[in-house]
Amino acid sequence: MKPILPTITGIGSVTPFGPLAGLIPHAPLEQPPLEPGPITAWTTDGLRRAFVVKPFQPASVVPGLKTRRLDRLSAWTLVASSLALQDAKIDLSQMDRSRVAVVFATGFGCIELTESFYRSAATNGWSGTDPITFPETLANSPPGHVALFHGLRGPNITISNRFFAGECALLQAASLLRHGQADMAVVIAGDTLTQTMYAWYETAGLLSPACYNAQPLTEPFGYVPSEGVVALVLEPAANRDVRSYGHLHAGRWATGGDPLESIYQMLGDSVPSLTIAAGNGGPCSSGPANHPAGGIFSAEAAIVPAQPVALGLTDTGALFHLVLALSKRDCRGNALMLATSGDRGFAALLLELP
Amino acid sequence: MPPTDVPKIIAVTGIGIVSPYGIGMASLEAGLLSGISRLVPAKNVYPEYPGFEGTTAPVSELPHFAADSSYRYSRSDRLAIVAAQDAVADFDRRQASFRDSGIVMASTVAGLSEIDPGIAQDPAAWYRRHGLARASSYSVARVASSVGEHLAIRGPSCAVSVACASGAMAIALAANMLLDGAAPMVLAGGSDALCPFTLSGFSALQSLDPEPCRPFDQSRRGLNLGEAAAVLVLETLAGAQARGANVLALLRGWAMTNDASHPTAPHKQGIGLAKCINHAMEMAGCAVDEIGYVNAHGTGTPLNDIAEANAYELAFRGRRRPVPVSSTKSYFGHCLGSAGSVEAAITISAVRSGAIFPTLRLTHPIESTTVDWVRGEVRRQPLSLAMSVSIGFGGSNAVLIFGNSGSAYP
Repeated sequence: MKPILPTITGIGSVTPFGPLAGLIPHAPLEQPPLEPGPITAWTTDGLRRAFVVKPFQPASVVPGLKTRRLDRLSAWTLVASSLALQDAKIDLSQMDRSRVAVVFATGFGCIELTESFYRSAATNGWSGTDPITFPETLANSPPGHVALFHGLRGPNITISNRFFAGECALLQAASLLRHGQADMAVVIAGDTLTQTMYAWYETAGLLSPACYNAQPLTEPFGYVPSEGVVALVLEPAANRDVRSYGHLHAGRWATGGDPLESIYQMLGDSVPSLTIAAGNGGPCSSGPANHPAGGIFSAEAAIVPAQPVALGLTDTGALFHLVLALSKRDCRGNALMLATSGDRGFAALLLELP
Repeated sequence: MPPTDVPKIIAVTGIGIVSPYGIGMASLEAGLLSGISRLVPAKNVYPEYPGFEGTTAPVSELPHFAADSSYRYSRSDRLAIVAAQDAVADFDRRQASFRDSGIVMASTVAGLSEIDPGIAQDPAAWYRRHGLARASSYSVARVASSVGEHLAIRGPSCAVSVACASGAMAIALAANMLLDGAAPMVLAGGSDALCPFTLSGFSALQSLDPEPCRPFDQSRRGLNLGEAAAVLVLETLAGAQARGANVLALLRGWAMTNDASHPTAPHKQGIGLAKCINHAMEMAGCAVDEIGYVNAHGTGTPLNDIAEANAYELAFRGRRRPVPVSSTKSYFGHCLGSAGSVEAAITISAVRSGAIFPTLRLTHPIESTTVDWVRGEVRRQPLSLAMSVSIGFGGSNAVLIFGNSGSAYP
């Protein structure tokens, strides 16, 4: 029996580039067209910048979407997943929705609502907290809303991982398809930037000078936080006669060990002509995944660090990095490797691009 | 029908647990056999918050572990580390197969137990006062990485956070990883600590029974919160046999579904859960009559228990005899993200020993022609297959089926 080759057939995103279906136009990897924007979601002590998602009306992007009671992460997750399904030209009314999985990756979950719940406890005491907020603080609320909105009754899984949550979600979704536990998966990854997170980075001294002044961003020399959600539709290659962004050929992640050996094993006979080597949480000139990337590939292969805007999506950045790579016009017909380094370990995905 | 494809059979070769009864399966089994619950008034656990009127079950005497200066282990981390150490106590940790193990740990609370409401009022001041390390435990991913760091495991690791179905889903995803060849063995389970955040939340939802809970009783009023961690070591049967491992049980089937009907409440008729049960039985290759025991989710809330009972009516329709069902949450409460893994361990215990632990305080069960509510005395009967059922906010369901290791493989 021929093994199932999971294929990306739809992309949706809510990022600093705005809400988009499909690839991100004019998003070259080397020259980010974006500058960090001022933070307005909370009161700051002077100018503070980050790659933030500009406020928008979800219902203006996805008609019929009701998000008034939701936090931004759930709202963006609904928008991104809807755009991805639309991009994949999926007619859910014609599908067995009990066979559609949702796999969601997040580093910090619904942290906005956790902060809100804590504020209500600070104001009213533990016995005066808000019953509506509490269940929405759970990390799996966003994919639960996706299931509810689209009527998706397959496995609904929320995954977190230090550094590699996006890769984990993609590989776990591929596993569901491979083992016949779903016919299609909506894979989503994302986080929102909040006051407590920004203050943590600031107190730790990790922020780039670009976070404090309005000068154009050249080299970040530190961390520029970001936020956003990316959704992919993953189907078996032979599922439908449909456009493919890429086939997920293989993937690995580990918290230690030898990345070079592991990546060689993963690659087999494949020779990627494009490698995206990303680090999480900071500039990515070094890291366990970059060394093998430099060692493996020929001089013609592009080894491109992900642009600064991608860095701030922290643990869930992989899907965004992937969409940025796919948006690069000259990568069609190639093999693409996405390699991510963390403080500990690495993750690598190998895709064949049609 | 027993499975025959040895490389695709998932074996359980280690179980570790820390529960309100203590550390290890033996203490848990002894506690369950005693029929004495570990539930105490919440105000005894949190005397500084007299407003907490619920009933809880804490773990006592939890050891501390040293981390590097950038991190402080949360209570959920510590519970997870103790359970993982217990699970691999007999393993040779120098072997490459151990070092390359995967880890899938579930949690919903993670480091919330280390944080207080002050963090949301002035985060920078809070970090200056308490340090960054305390807040670093916030992410649920830290529970899995804490286990990995402590046991020097370097394989693929991730966390699962699907509310109260998390622990069972961690085990299901770990089984998928083994089928994919992602790791030679996977430590899978869940860990959640008691904390004011969750006590307050469930109290606000009016989901807490101020008295010890009464799962599946017609007069049930709500749940009690507990804390625990459980870790199973899973590997393919082929791998386990190759290294001469002691196979404790087989994971014969697993399935995950979503109700897609309400953000928090389960589907009233239990349709999503019934489908999940059917999918798991399909994977296990068993008929409805072959399930000898169901360890239920059984929280004691009015909505959960009736939905679950309805699901059993649907899923086990056509059985010759009612299916024995009990909820062990009546002993030490609902352990949230770890519940599915703790109850998986109890289900394995039932399969291995033939002891079915009754639901405590169940005097007037929900009427059912399909379910045999186990109550009163511990029941003893041979079990070849038993099922553990988990349900979570967000509509998620997860079902695991365990089989006796002695009779089901060639």
